[in-house]
Amino acid sequence: MSRWLARRLGQAAATLALVTAILFFLMRLAPGDPLGRLQSDRPLTPEQVAVLRARYGLDQPLSRQFGAFAAGLLRGDLGTSIEYGRPVTRLIAERLPATLLLGGTVLLVNFTVGLWLGALQAVRRGSRLDRWLSGAALAGYATPSFWLGLVLAWLVGVRWRLLPAAGMQNPLLGPEAGLWARGADLLAHLALPALTLVVVSIAGTMRYQRRAMLEVLRLPYVWTARAKGLDEATVLRRHAWRNALFPVLTLFGLWLPILATGSVFVEAVFAWPGLGSLAAAAVGARDYPLLMGTAILVSALVILGALVTDVAYVLLDPRVRWA
Amino acid sequence: MPRAIPPIAFFACALALASPPRVDAQARDRGTIVLVVAQAPTAPIPTMMEGAASATDNADVADLLFLRLAELGPELTTSGDQGFVPVLARSWTRRDSLTLVFELDPRARWHDGAPVTARDVVFTFDRARNPAVAPKLAGLLRHVSSVTAEDDRHVVIRFDRWYAEQLYDAVFHVQPLPSHLLAGAAGSAALPADFVARPVGDGPYRWVRSEPGSFVELGADSGFFLGRPANRRVFIRVAGDPDARLNMLLSGEVDALRTVPAPLSDVQRLESALDLRLLTLPSPVMGYLLFNQRDRADRSKPHPILSDPAVRRALVLALDRWAVVRATFGPYAEVPYGPVSQALWIRRGSPRASGPDTAAARRLLLSRGWADHDGDGVLDRDGRPLALTLSYPLTSEPRKQMALLIQEQLRRVGIRIELVRLEGPVWSERRSRGDFDIDFSSLTQDPTPSGLTQGWSCRGGTNVAGYCDPVVDSLMERAIAARTGAEAERLWREVLRRIEEDAPAAFIYAPSYVFAVSRRLAHVTLRPESAWLRLWEWKVR
Repeated sequence: MSRWLARRLGQAAATLALVTAILFFLMRLAPGDPLGRLQSDRPLTPEQVAVLRARYGLDQPLSRQFGAFAAGLLRGDLGTSIEYGRPVTRLIAERLPATLLLGGTVLLVNFTVGLWLGALQAVRRGSRLDRWLSGAALAGYATPSFWLGLVLAWLVGVRWRLLPAAGMQNPLLGPEAGLWARGADLLAHLALPALTLVVVSIAGTMRYQRRAMLEVLRLPYVWTARAKGLDEATVLRRHAWRNALFPVLTLFGLWLPILATGSVFVEAVFAWPGLGSLAAAAVGARDYPLLMGTAILVSALVILGALVTDVAYVLLDPRVRWA
Repeated sequence: MPRAIPPIAFFACALALASPPRVDAQARDRGTIVLVVAQAPTAPIPTMMEGAASATDNADVADLLFLRLAELGPELTTSGDQGFVPVLARSWTRRDSLTLVFELDPRARWHDGAPVTARDVVFTFDRARNPAVAPKLAGLLRHVSSVTAEDDRHVVIRFDRWYAEQLYDAVFHVQPLPSHLLAGAAGSAALPADFVARPVGDGPYRWVRSEPGSFVELGADSGFFLGRPANRRVFIRVAGDPDARLNMLLSGEVDALRTVPAPLSDVQRLESALDLRLLTLPSPVMGYLLFNQRDRADRSKPHPILSDPAVRRALVLALDRWAVVRATFGPYAEVPYGPVSQALWIRRGSPRASGPDTAAARRLLLSRGWADHDGDGVLDRDGRPLALTLSYPLTSEPRKQMALLIQEQLRRVGIRIELVRLEGPVWSERRSRGDFDIDFSSLTQDPTPSGLTQGWSCRGGTNVAGYCDPVVDSLMERAIAARTGAEAERLWREVLRRIEEDAPAAFIYAPSYVFAVSRRLAHVTLRPESAWLRLWEWKVR
């Protein structure tokens, strides 16, 4: 197992290095100048632009820029953001908790509520509940997240004033507020963006789970379990549901990068201070260091998601061998 | 299947327990004002606000933390020595035509208790005049030849030439920094990390804390020497999306926001909110169609169509600019006369921008040989159609809306316009290269008209369209060197008239800022050069 794991980790590291190099050169080849945006509002003279270009190392040949970036990366230094003038690692570290909280909540709800509802649909296939849940999930799936976010923010936040319309915390609470009050405040701010993302994404989990469960319920060992006299709940929970979880593991691997990037639109609509909006701003500003930082993070998570899925398959399914 | 409580019920309970305390908490706290801005104040520190950090929101916060030697008066005049309001400097005198002496107010203190001294002013000017530290500031202060401290309270600023905006340059661009906390950082673009994270200023507010991407908290300095602030603390919340900002205001989570009134539906939503009032203020923003006078493929050659002043004038005459502005901004913008925003003082007394005259436009074009010879609805000359591209950034909704109207208006006189929507950085890059026919530009102007030399003089650093009129250059030089404010005003007005005649651009819009402010706030004063400058006088009812 350890040899297999070491080989997979080595492959993952090589993939990440290759992706990083490709990303670096692709970004530089894309049209647009990182200092261009700085001039869109308050134009700078060519001399002022030259000083800023030298400050950010943009006056160097591309190969030297890559060398400096790679050397910094090995030291854990992703450079300084052109847009924010601060270290990229610090910017990412500041925004990552908000994104992990939002992404983690969505992932948690997706893989608890979604699995439960999908399994419920399979058990009651063809019923009115099954049809209703399928319709509702697909309607949610077809809804653009930014539109749903705008509607929820207006209706629940502005019109009814039930939950905060935007932001991640009430600044008036202050650091001296109790843990309970701050937790409740955070949960209240989290509710609408999380709900928006859950509504538009839960359909996938439900459909996967429903189909997997339906396939398992047809298998002979489920009939055997019933024939042994086990009660239906035990048959479903212990024998059917557990085995129906495997296909969903793939979905989990695909979802992992979203945990870090969140949803750009939803973060914007709810002024959620996460990594998604930071990455979007970096794209718009051609902030190369920040763009590279977020792109490397996402690439690493994609690779990690695939690795975690592979390991989970091997650990959970005895039919799959270390190979 | 798990028989436990369905997870959905768990989350429903959790949500129910999460009470939203925001509105109540805000209502209870009568000394607190909450603003919302578009961009996080990342480095609201003088001499560090270059490049991306020069964003308006950053500068506005710096103005709450750091004082200038003097502020602009209500007329916003930058020319001459009259009309400025003492702040950090109690008074100033002229020793000769090249020397100003400032006496600092002895009551002024940094937020750590240390007195503000002439050394602080000298230290900050040294940084500001260093192109390696602050390239833009250094450019603005290029005529300052020396800054010295005579003693703790007297600063002498010398200039290398006489011009009417010496006092403006001396007081407006540079807000002194506390040299005693920044020893060793004089020649470095970066300042100590702890100072950047927690700046120490001398203004009405001190820095309390910042939650990255969420908000900044400022606390009133109860010992502020110009008077105790009327409120206790200010939160500046950040929401990049205009809808999010609007929702925060309409839900009562924030007390005030600033917006450019487009789309109009946003302003109409604010107008209908009973607990808000709308205030307008001249904005420094100005938008125009810049006509490229050089060939976009070969900059050494004139543009085959737009180098002809008659064609440029015809383009301006063919446009109903007032209709475009009304459709986009409603009553919250005007058509500028010349390249001036509403916040520039030289616009006072300017004539109203002309309306459309399509008949005159057609006549002008015909006189230059442009006619519809092949009957396809597009004018042509020597087989070449009168077809041009109009570039603009796709992030700008107002410009997108206006570009469609402009395209239609020019089509009616036989000019074909192809709209080119570009991603922001690509648009900027092409604009800087001069790779465009017509560029829909927008800029934010400093309060001084001398900034016009950058874009509208032959050697202007940002003159990307190749416009060159030696008469305009000469007039601008004379206006800058004018002895009196009245003389400067007359000359600047002549500059505008001449630029209008040359038609290097069609000046389309100069919007007002619209501020939506909660009715629980009283004594609300807004300043065009820095919106929240007088925030410390606002009261919470």
